[in-house]
Amino acid sequence: MPIDDLARTVEVEDDVLGAIDACYERGWSDGLPVVPPEQSRVEAMLALEGRPPETMLAGHPTTGRECTVLAAAVNAVMAGCLPEYFPVLVAALEAANGPEYNFHASTASTGGSAPLLIVSGPVVRDIGMNAAGNVFGPGNRANATIGRAMRLIVMNVFEMIPGVSDQSTQGHPGKYCSCIAERAERTPWEPLHVELGYGEDISSVTVFAGAGFCNVENHGGNAPEPILDCIADSMASLGCITIGQSVVVLSPEHADIVASTGWTKADVKQYLFDHAKQTVAAMRRVKKYVPREHERQGTVDMHRGFGAEDILVTVAGGDAGGHSAFIPSWSRTRGSVMQSKPIGVCIDC
Amino acid sequence: MTITLVDPGGRGGSTNRTVAPRLADLAGLRIALLSNGKANADVLLRETAALFADEFGCREACFIDKRNAGRPALPEHHRQLAEDADFLITAVGD
Amino acid sequence: MHDGISFEQLGKPALVICTHPFEPTGRNIARALGVPDYPFAMVDHPIGSRTVSELRARARSAFAQGVGILAW
Repeated sequence: MPIDDLARTVEVEDDVLGAIDACYERGWSDGLPVVPPEQSRVEAMLALEGRPPETMLAGHPTTGRECTVLAAAVNAVMAGCLPEYFPVLVAALEAANGPEYNFHASTASTGGSAPLLIVSGPVVRDIGMNAAGNVFGPGNRANATIGRAMRLIVMNVFEMIPGVSDQSTQGHPGKYCSCIAERAERTPWEPLHVELGYGEDISSVTVFAGAGFCNVENHGGNAPEPILDCIADSMASLGCITIGQSVVVLSPEHADIVASTGWTKADVKQYLFDHAKQTVAAMRRVKKYVPREHERQGTVDMHRGFGAEDILVTVAGGDAGGHSAFIPSWSRTRGSVMQSKPIGVCIDC
Repeated sequence: MTITLVDPGGRGGSTNRTVAPRLADLAGLRIALLSNGKANADVLLRETAALFADEFGCREACFIDKRNAGRPALPEHHRQLAEDADFLITAVGD
Repeated sequence: MHDGISFEQLGKPALVICTHPFEPTGRNIARALGVPDYPFAMVDHPIGSRTVSELRARARSAFAQGVGILAW
């Protein structure tokens, strides 16, 4: 079906600066200039997707808005994506579709989360994603534009507009774009996509409703415990601790130290779960103790999450530096649970 | 010369719906309370219901705590509340 | 808001209480659900950290607005 029959189109002067202004005037922006979604660019984005453009990828349960393959492609163009990035975005949308991820509350809540995309597998190298220095920062087109496309979809398609339907109290910079890649060659354990059950040649994307980023610094530790104690302490800090999930991104330097004495990834997760905790008295003192949440844990102290499986551990970042990252979940309860999908594997095709 | 831009909005969205008829008289009616599980939501709902009780002789007929403010209650919860009561009080906020 | 409007589809009215900062969200969701003029009660923010007497004041406000919302 031609694009004109599936979406509204607008004729504007053939002038790129004027077209950027036209997008601003229509509210099609995250605040930064967008690449005008000119029809031939959209068609090029669609060319790599096997399914019809009207195929639904993700729905927003409250507004009833649906993101089709076409709408995803239009927003990918606007974000600055190259067509070869598109399968990552498509898989991320499919992962986040459904009640487990909860596209409404995670984008409407005062908690102000961003969908953090974690990409693992051969696609990282194939499309030139950055998994090394500045993995959370600027400088790489794939990381920056795939993450930005997700934000533009939340705003343009799902109509979660700051100050109107997005009630983030403060939000965070990751709401412009949050997309990182796992650094496979510096990962001492099996990569995330294999841990998730996919083959060596099948890449994956995980979507996590993440709050603001917490840098965990330790340059003195030379054994697993000093490094992991710092991470667990961040996870358990009174401001951060909830029963939500966690993402831990170890720097290569930290990962080498932690794995050097034979610790497996499962050991790391268990250690973090066991040590990321507060006493009931401490939780009561700051008025954050919720008995029914503690009952669900079935533990003496209040831990972060329900178990070791609630902690995603991956490795990314530059060769040098004792800086890892902990990203808390959006919800103070269990309003969103992280979801993963294989990339470029269409079950229905 | 012009170029064609494609609108980035998706499809779907609102179809107009109606709401229930309003009540002619509140006297003696049964109240359903639906809490979102946030702190003090139950207190606000019960204090509000108590005022309907004092003024109109209403009574609390059922209370459901959906325990997750981020999602709508289950359809069976809505059905149960509607079966057991004449009107609902619920709350949004922090 | 979603719960109130869904409940109304079963033929019985609902009083939705909303704290002031959530008014734009409430109106937007009501619009998205196809009832752009859906009436609801607005009370002071916040709820979670307030005392019972402060919550009673909010309940009085919700009640006063609620009578007009539920009964014509």
